Amino acid sequence: MGKDRLLPIFALFMLLIASASSLYVYASQTTTETLFINGQHYTIDQLFFLTRSRIFNDNDSVGIALDDLMLKTGVSSPEQHTYTLKGVDGYEKTVTWENMKNGLLTKDRESIFSDLPKAFFVKDIIEIEVK
Amino acid sequence: MINRKFIAGIIVFGSLWGFAECIIGSYLHDVNLPAGAIMTGVFAIGLLTLSRTTFRQPGMQTGIGLVAGALRLFNPFGGCFICSAIAIMAEGLLFDLIWTGFSLDRKKTHSLTIQASLGITSAYLVYVGGYIITQILTPVFSSAGFYTENLIVFIPQILASGLLAAVLGVATVPTVFSLKKLNIIIQDRLYYPVTIGVSSFCWIFVIVNTILILWL
Repeated sequence: MGKDRLLPIFALFMLLIASASSLYVYASQTTTETLFINGQHYTIDQLFFLTRSRIFNDNDSVGIALDDLMLKTGVSSPEQHTYTLKGVDGYEKTVTWENMKNGLLTKDRESIFSDLPKAFFVKDIIEIEVK
Repeated sequence: MINRKFIAGIIVFGSLWGFAECIIGSYLHDVNLPAGAIMTGVFAIGLLTLSRTTFRQPGMQTGIGLVAGALRLFNPFGGCFICSAIAIMAEGLLFDLIWTGFSLDRKKTHSLTIQASLGITSAYLVYVGGYIITQILTPVFSSAGFYTENLIVFIPQILASGLLAAVLGVATVPTVFSLKKLNIIIQDRLYYPVTIGVSSFCWIFVIVNTILILWL
């Protein structure tokens, strides 16, 4: 039997995996209006009130400084930690303190870094975990 | 001896794929459509299948992916262009491995069931594989570094997002096989002028488009 005869079985298997994953993703969707940072829940307005602003002129991005945000939310020895930004869709990226010094959080709860590729721009952030 | 027709084929197919990713892919991304899955399920799988059934040479699609990925680097718009370039290069390699792994070069014709199954399998594996590879390599090449747990928690979303590419692949591969039946052949004396002309157009258009967007 030629290997190509196995293709329909593989195809069905792929469709099953994709469909099951889609159902899982749909069932596990959550919505929240707050961000969980260093053990506390904050609204985006509270964070914008607490933290100094930052602007990146090259891509017209405006928001609050991620490094200042960590300090204002009580993170001590910030350079000794890494920071995991988690989106509502499960997407997450871990960055260093040096990256946080070049990052901002927009009003739409998106992270933007001047020193990292767009893959690190996490949308609809619901948590920043300090590790 | 290097087969010049083969090399020209790699460049023209790679340029067409890269052009589509830069111009059509960026547009789809800007209007919030699932650009990655559409580009893979239609353009990538279509061009890779057409090139493989025409030349029947293992390794060609890896080369096509490298050319397309290189062209994508000249267009820093529409999402993460570094991720996109890495994914395109990985997709060419993965398609090559799938086609060779299933020994699909042995037969010139395949039943409609095999064609549709090939469309699903190749589109899904190429898209999901490219997505996973770029999620690993993009952080590796950045100052943040790669963290395995970031990838693991996002695997269900990656597996789910490949469904659209797989569904599009069902139509794309049989369509390419149908087009092949039309037996459209470029005459030998026109082969190099056409391939050089098409490739040049793709590269010049993308580079000029990038310069204009940056200046305006």
